[in-house]
Amino acid sequence: MNQTTQTPTGLSVRGLGGSASGPPRARARRRLHSEQWAAWAFLTPVTVYLLAFFAYPLYRNLDLSLRDYTVRSFVSGGAEFIGLANHRKVLGDPAFAPALTHTVVFTLVSLAFQFAIGLALAVFFAKSFRLSAILRALFLVPWLLPLIVSASTWSWMLNSDSGVVNAALRLVGIAPVHWLTSPQWSLLSVILANVWIGIPFNLVVLYNGLQSIPAQLYEAAQIDGANGWQQFWRVTFPLLRPVSAITLLLGLVYTLKVFDLIWIMTRGGPSDSSTTLATWSYRLSFGNLLPEFGPGAAVGNLLIVMALAAGLIYIRAQKRQYQR
Amino acid sequence: MNQLASRWRGLGVTLVALVTAGGLVACSSSDGTTGGSTYTIWDPYPQFDDSSNWVKLLSDCGSKAGVTVKRTAFDTSDLTSKTLLAAQQGNAPDVLIVDNPVISTLAEAGVLTTSDDNKLDTSAIDQNLLGAGQSGGKTYGIPIGANTLALYYNKAVLQASGVDIASVKDWASLTAALAKTTAAGKKGITFSAIGTEEGSFQFLPWFWGSGAHLTKLDSAEAVSAVTLWTDWLKKGYAPNSAINNTQTTSWQEFATGQYAFAENGTWQLANAKKTGFEYGIIAIPAINGGTAAAPTGGEFVSVPVQKTTSRYAVSQKLVACLTDSDNSLTTTTTLSYIAPTAAVQAKQVAANPELKVWVEAVGAAKGRTGDNLGTKYPKISQPLWTAMQAALSGSATPQAALTTAQAAAAAATK
Amino acid sequence: MTAQRSWPRTVLGLVLTGVMLFPVYWMINVSFTRQGDMRKSPPNWFPVDGTVEGYRSVLRDQLPYLGTSLLVGLGTVALTLIVAAPAAYSLAKLNPRGGRALSFVLLMAQMIPGIIMAMGFYAIYLNLGLLNSVAGLIVADSTIAVPFAVLIFTAFMAGIPDEVMHAAKVDGAGPWRTFWSVALPVSRNATVTVSLFAFLWAWSDFVYASTLDSGGAQRPITLGIYHYIGNNNQEWNAIMATAVVASIPATVLIIIAQRYVAAGVTSGAVKD
Repeated sequence: MNQTTQTPTGLSVRGLGGSASGPPRARARRRLHSEQWAAWAFLTPVTVYLLAFFAYPLYRNLDLSLRDYTVRSFVSGGAEFIGLANHRKVLGDPAFAPALTHTVVFTLVSLAFQFAIGLALAVFFAKSFRLSAILRALFLVPWLLPLIVSASTWSWMLNSDSGVVNAALRLVGIAPVHWLTSPQWSLLSVILANVWIGIPFNLVVLYNGLQSIPAQLYEAAQIDGANGWQQFWRVTFPLLRPVSAITLLLGLVYTLKVFDLIWIMTRGGPSDSSTTLATWSYRLSFGNLLPEFGPGAAVGNLLIVMALAAGLIYIRAQKRQYQR
Repeated sequence: MNQLASRWRGLGVTLVALVTAGGLVACSSSDGTTGGSTYTIWDPYPQFDDSSNWVKLLSDCGSKAGVTVKRTAFDTSDLTSKTLLAAQQGNAPDVLIVDNPVISTLAEAGVLTTSDDNKLDTSAIDQNLLGAGQSGGKTYGIPIGANTLALYYNKAVLQASGVDIASVKDWASLTAALAKTTAAGKKGITFSAIGTEEGSFQFLPWFWGSGAHLTKLDSAEAVSAVTLWTDWLKKGYAPNSAINNTQTTSWQEFATGQYAFAENGTWQLANAKKTGFEYGIIAIPAINGGTAAAPTGGEFVSVPVQKTTSRYAVSQKLVACLTDSDNSLTTTTTLSYIAPTAAVQAKQVAANPELKVWVEAVGAAKGRTGDNLGTKYPKISQPLWTAMQAALSGSATPQAALTTAQAAAAAATK
Repeated sequence: MTAQRSWPRTVLGLVLTGVMLFPVYWMINVSFTRQGDMRKSPPNWFPVDGTVEGYRSVLRDQLPYLGTSLLVGLGTVALTLIVAAPAAYSLAKLNPRGGRALSFVLLMAQMIPGIIMAMGFYAIYLNLGLLNSVAGLIVADSTIAVPFAVLIFTAFMAGIPDEVMHAAKVDGAGPWRTFWSVALPVSRNATVTVSLFAFLWAWSDFVYASTLDSGGAQRPITLGIYHYIGNNNQEWNAIMATAVVASIPATVLIIIAQRYVAAGVTSGAVKD
């Protein structure tokens, strides 16, 4: 049982993909065999599902990135296989370095604020109070809106001349800010909107994670004389770790691929100041009269690699934690 | 380490499986041609539902040709990729109505038939409008209607600022008028300088009006055009939001009644009547007077390539019906467009004298993909709007921004 | 906790919700605004001289599509749960060989851009004749939710103490019984989380709907927005009104669901 953590109160927690503990051999092998059968029986639906619905798009994306697609060969086929030339082209593009920097800043800052605010709200809502269920549900409303509407609303509010944010600033005597139209502010503005969109996700997942922590643990901690802060750090935080980790990982994946929000608010501009890899990929493939599918898909692949790297780090961190 | 290796092997196997399965799916995707006497029409007018005149016209043309018409409306920005995708799957519509600069892209993709195959009669169409549908000496479609840009002005605002519209003849007098209106506490001019094709579309009248050519983005003339806009923004004659404005947003700004001028299109005519203030329209002036060439807008009717070439005969009937002069009058009135033929234009002006200025503007306009640019145009347009945005947002001087743009355009079109 | 002591929390909760929902309020404000006032500077904080023109056309044209949206949303939830829950149970508790590779593929699957996915579905559906069908849209929408659901379920199920599982096994329960009567009931919170998001994603989806369902008679309500996006012009008050009309029934549904679930949780399903 070396791969489980012992919490102060004796509940064991294991993370995603934690591997088997080792019972005695001979009998174990037979049992392992039948266990494997059962395990994969449970996995069959999702495997079939993945093969049926993800394989073709994934293959399309790879194929697009490895061939020299023009609009003509996109339609009639016969695009030449050019290996990694599309990837080399985008890596050598002067737009690459800023796009990468913006992606990293956009992702990390969004993630940090979404998670912190989401966790704070989850803790706040964890103790039920009058209206708490309704208010918690209302926090989900932003997710009911098609992104084209919520992003347009943000762009509306942040408009330099007729936006409500600048109108409010003017009321308190601050000069208007060109939120979306100046290279200094545009990235910050799209991060702001993205944090807003991400809060409900973090709130709901973390809140339900909190609900899964047995109340007895808090009672025990209280008997031991722990105050609220200590309870948070000693009970809540460690027990919430698997859920937190997956929330962050998923948040990272979702933030990396955000393009529509930025596209609607700034088109990645002005002067590429809010262009991330995802918006760049979209602009190459769809944002122009003459689509460049190959380079667009190549940028998409870079994003997949970034997400995979994060996934590896996640699994590594999980393992180290359990081996302690 | 061993464990790591086996994990990666597992991943590898999964990947191979995925790709193989993907290949199988890809191979099995064959054509799904539409059957019998149903003909499909795609258009970019989702605002018209089944009860609209437009859709009625489509089904009437269908019954005249003896077939049923199945019409699908797409958002205009989606239509290009949708068409490419459908053509790739052998499922292109029989008749496609699409924004004019897209025609050269679709023609390049081999999606559209030429007038040699589809036997469409283009003889009556104004040559400057037809240009956008021609490439390499072949004609790929017929304009269903045309629009272009001009300057709307608010009579009350100009009067309050003491500007006589007759004095606005060139860039200097226009800028002077803007100075007067802003001095009088009103707002100057609004336009759309967004970082997409829409921004290039709005900038082109000034670009061409300066005497610049799309083949040389960093000419002194081009710099003067970008400088004109940049100075307007700096001096507060134009709103900073212009950098992010779509043409709709820009129109909404004008509709507040606070602005003296707005650069916008023929299609706003119906909305202009709803604003509740008196407005007028002038052509966009060139740098030293006269009318600047504005880009033509509007959609083309085209006949995509089909496996069953016998379908072209009916498609041709449908297109002929949609573009014949009686229907053209209905269609262009519905869309708030100008007709592409002189005969129908005359009828339009007779019915509504207000359209005269627009007919003249359309007559002076030119296609973006014309001048033999074809599919080179998108590769020039993108650097152009990028440069315009860089200059307006202050991240580069007009000269520096256009030098970069010219380098990018030259690299992309070589 | 007595009602009196919870008052400050309620007030703070109201303030926080107010801040969070300000953009939603702004959307509502715009939906009532006349064309001429939309870009007024400074803007109207309240829809004075408002118009209900947007709502009039939405209620006239779009209401039938709410049913389609509801059907698609619930269908997506069901499909997602059926596919994801058993898989997560296996990944979290049964240590399948290659399970990690599968987790990786799931992670990677979420990185495929939605448009590429939509293009793939278009090709597949065209051949299967599933374009413009509710079933097709449910399957497509579930691809947003399934990888998420597997990973979330796994994280939650990993938290179930092994002793509970062992106890079931000692009682002679097979893997299926253990999953069905032990793991699943205990994972109620994960089920709620997953269902909520599956529903929300399906409800607000735009990319799949516009690629796969734009020609059909049974369109989801979000596509109603297209009715107000012309090729040169957009009617923003109607677009915003569509979004408001579309989100009201879903909001009510979520509030009811949350109350029901909250009651269920405290009544003790999770205890022990």
